[in-house]
Amino acid sequence: MKVLLMGHPNVGKSVLFNRLTGTNVTVSNYPGTTVDYTKGYMRLENKEVEVIDVPGTFSLEPKDKAEEVAVKMLKENRDAVVVCIIDSTKVERGLYLTLQIIEEGYPVVISSNMWDVAKDKNIQIDVEKLEQILGVPVVPTIAISGEGIKELVSKIKKAKSVEIETIVKKVGGET
Amino acid sequence: MDKWTIGKIYFGILGIVALAFGIADLLVTAGGSSFSLGLLEIPNDMFRGGWGGLVMLFAGLFYLSGLSGIKNLSEIHQFSKVVMGSILIWVVAGCDIFAMITGSIPGEEAWFNTLEGFFGTYAPPYPPAILLLPFSLAVIYYIKKGRLNE
Amino acid sequence: MELTVDKRWDLIDKISKQTVKFKKYKSTLKEVIGELTVKPLTGIPIAIAVLYGFWSVFSSFAGFFTDGFLVKLFDEHWLPWIQGAFPGGLHNWFYNLMVDVGHIQNGALVPSNSCFESFGALTSGLFVPFGVVLPAIFIFYLMMAVLEDVGYLPRLAVLVDTVLHKIGLHGYAIVPTILGFGCNVPAVTATRILETRKQRFLMMTLLGIFIPCGAQLGIMQEVIPEYMGLIILYLLFGYFVTGFILNKVFPGKTPEILIDVPPYQKPLTRNVMTKVWVRLSGFLKIAVPFVILGCLIVGVMYLTGTMDWLANLFGPIFTHWFGVPKETVGPLVAAFMRKDLAVAQLSAIEMTKYQMVTSVVLVSIYFPCLATFAMILKEGGKELLGALAVLVASTFIYGGLIHLIWILLGVA
Ligand SMILES: Nc1nc2c(ncn2[C@@H]2O[C@H](COP(=O)(O)OP(=O)(O)OP(=O)(O)O)[C@@H](O)[C@H]2O)c(=O)[nH]1
Ligand SMILES: [Mg+2]
Repeated sequence: MKVLLMGHPNVGKSVLFNRLTGTNVTVSNYPGTTVDYTKGYMRLENKEVEVIDVPGTFSLEPKDKAEEVAVKMLKENRDAVVVCIIDSTKVERGLYLTLQIIEEGYPVVISSNMWDVAKDKNIQIDVEKLEQILGVPVVPTIAISGEGIKELVSKIKKAKSVEIETIVKKVGGET
Repeated sequence: MDKWTIGKIYFGILGIVALAFGIADLLVTAGGSSFSLGLLEIPNDMFRGGWGGLVMLFAGLFYLSGLSGIKNLSEIHQFSKVVMGSILIWVVAGCDIFAMITGSIPGEEAWFNTLEGFFGTYAPPYPPAILLLPFSLAVIYYIKKGRLNE
Repeated sequence: MELTVDKRWDLIDKISKQTVKFKKYKSTLKEVIGELTVKPLTGIPIAIAVLYGFWSVFSSFAGFFTDGFLVKLFDEHWLPWIQGAFPGGLHNWFYNLMVDVGHIQNGALVPSNSCFESFGALTSGLFVPFGVVLPAIFIFYLMMAVLEDVGYLPRLAVLVDTVLHKIGLHGYAIVPTILGFGCNVPAVTATRILETRKQRFLMMTLLGIFIPCGAQLGIMQEVIPEYMGLIILYLLFGYFVTGFILNKVFPGKTPEILIDVPPYQKPLTRNVMTKVWVRLSGFLKIAVPFVILGCLIVGVMYLTGTMDWLANLFGPIFTHWFGVPKETVGPLVAAFMRKDLAVAQLSAIEMTKYQMVTSVVLVSIYFPCLATFAMILKEGGKELLGALAVLVASTFIYGGLIHLIWILLGVA
C-alpha cells in the first residue's frame, strides 16, 4: 500500500509528512515550498507503508512545473490511498481538488487541517455531515501540534473510493 | 480624560519626537559629522544614520497617521498603525542594542574585551531609538487594554 | 464518472452550504497589522524596516564571530602554526598549494601573514568557509527561516507585483529571488512555481547572473563592507534592466495570478532550527569541498604558469574594457567553483576602490557557480544555452558600462 498526500499549496502537507515519516522536509509559510516529491515510510499495523509528499496543486490540470509533479505522482500511483489535505478555513476551495480525486476513483481520506485557525476564525464545520455526504472519512487535524494525526492514521485503511453520483444524490438532487 | 484620549496625546508627542529624530538622523548623516547632546548621540553613519534614520522617520509617520482623522484611537485600524510605529522603533533600537552587545565582547587584540571596555560600551550617550524605546513600550499597555474591551 | 467544472462547483456549493458555517467574528490586531504590510503606502516603509533589521543583525553577528574571534584564531594561531609545522617551505610546490604561496616584498619571497593572502588549501581553503562564511550564513539562514515561517514572503510578493510585471515576471518571482540570496541552487528549483517557460527562463537567467548568494554576501561584508551597498545596487539595477530587455526581446505573456497570502504565524522554533541545520549541513557537504578544490585548482594554475598565460591573454580586455588589473583573472577562475573564494582572493589584489567594485560585480555576474550551473542545466535544459548567451552579453556590456561610469565620474 502507498499513501499519497495531496492538497492545495500551503495547507500543511509537508508538516504532516514529517510527522508521519519522521523526516525533515522543508516547511515554510508560503505556497510553493515543496516543488518536488519526497518519499518516506511510516508504520501502519506493523507494516512499512510508503508515503509520498508532493507539491501543492489547485486542481488536476497543472498550471506550472510544480503542479505537474503532483499530478504526475497521482497518475503514477494508481494503487495509492490519497490523503486529501484541506485548509479548514477554505473548505470550498479544497473540496474541488478532493472531488476531482474522488472522481478519478482513488480511495480518499480527508484531513481537515488548520483546525485551530478555523476555530479562531469562528468557522464551524460539521464533520459528521461532511463524512456522511462524501462517504469518506474526514478527520479534523492540527498538523503542527499533532492533534488528530493518530485518528487520521487509523482511518487510512478505512479509505474507500466512492461514486460521484452517490455524492450528488446525497446532497439532494440534480447537479 | 479617558485612557484613549491620554493615549492620543501621548502617542502624538511620541510621534512628533520620532519624526524629529528621524529627520535629525538624516540631516546629520547628510552633513557628514556626528552630533551629540546630553544623553543623545546621532552617529554619522550611512547605514545606522541614513537607513536607520529613515525607519525612525517612518515610525513617527506611523504614529501620527494612526492618530489623524476623526476616528478614535481605540478603532483597530487606527490603533494598528500606532502599534506599527512602536514596532519600527523596536526594530531600530533592537538592532542598535544587538550591535552594542556584539561589539562589547571581543577585544581589540586579545580574545576578550577588558571589563572597563565592556561596560564602557553600554554607557551613554545613546542613539535616538534607544532613548525612545522605553516610551514606545506604552503601546503594550494599550494592546492589553484593547483585548479586555473585546 | 467525471463532472464538468461548473457542475463540480455547483456540487461543492451545495455540500458546503450544509456543512460549513461562518460565524461572526472581529478581525484581530494581528490581521490588521497583516493588512498594513501588504498595502503599498504602509507596506513599503515596513519592508524597508525589515531589510534594515535583517542587514543590521547580519553584519553585527557576522562581524562578532569573524572579526571578533575567528580572524584572530586563523591569522594569529592557525596560520603561523601550520606554516611552521607543515613540511617544506615557500619554495616547495606542495607547500605552496596546501599552506602558503607567499608574496614578494622588496624583491624577496616572504610568508603571508593573513589567511586571505596565503591562498593555501589548508589556510584560505579553511578560513574562507569556516572563518568567514559559516557565521555569516548561519545568521542569514536563521533570519530567512524566520521570515519564511512568519509568512512575510507572500506579502512581499504582493508589494512588488507591479514592479516585477515590468520585467515579465509577477510578484511571486520574489520567492526564488529571495531564496537566491541564500543560495542560488534551491532558488533555481523554486522557479518551478512560475507558469510559463519564458518566465522560468527569465528567472533562472536573472538568478544565475545577478543574485549574489549568502556566502558571497558574507565574505563581502568581511572584506569590503564599505562598498557593499554600491555593489548590491549595481547588481539589482542589472537584474531589472536585463529583465526589462529580455522581456521585450522574448515572446510570451505574463499571466496575471492571484497571490495567496496566508495568515501570519508564530515561527516554530523546532522547524526554524531544522531548516537552518538542513541548509548548513548542505553547505558543509557541498560548498566546503568546492572551496578547497577551488584553492587547489587556482594554485596549480599559478604554479604551472597557466594563470599568467591567461592573464596575459585576457589582460587587454581586463585593463581596457573593464578597467581592472589583469590579476583578476585568478579570482575569476576561482569563481567558477565558489564566489566566496573568488571575492576573498580579490581582496588580496592591490587595486583602487572603483576597480574593486567593478571586479566584484564581474565576479558575481560572469558565471553562476558550478553547483548553480548544474542545477540550471538540470531544470532548464535547452534554456541553458540562452542563459549563457545572455550571460556573456551582459557581462561584457555591464562590465564595460560600470567602467564607463567611473570614467565619466573621473575616478577610473
Ligand atoms: N496553525 C496551523 N498551522 C499549520 C498547520 N499545519 C501546517 N501549518 C503551517 O502551515 C504552513 C505550511 O505548511 P507546509 O507543510 O509547508 O505546507 P505544504 O502543504 O507542504 O505547502 P506546499 O509545499 O507549498 O504545497 C507552515 O507554516 C506550517 O507551520 C495547522 O494545523 N495549524
Ligand atoms: Mg510542502
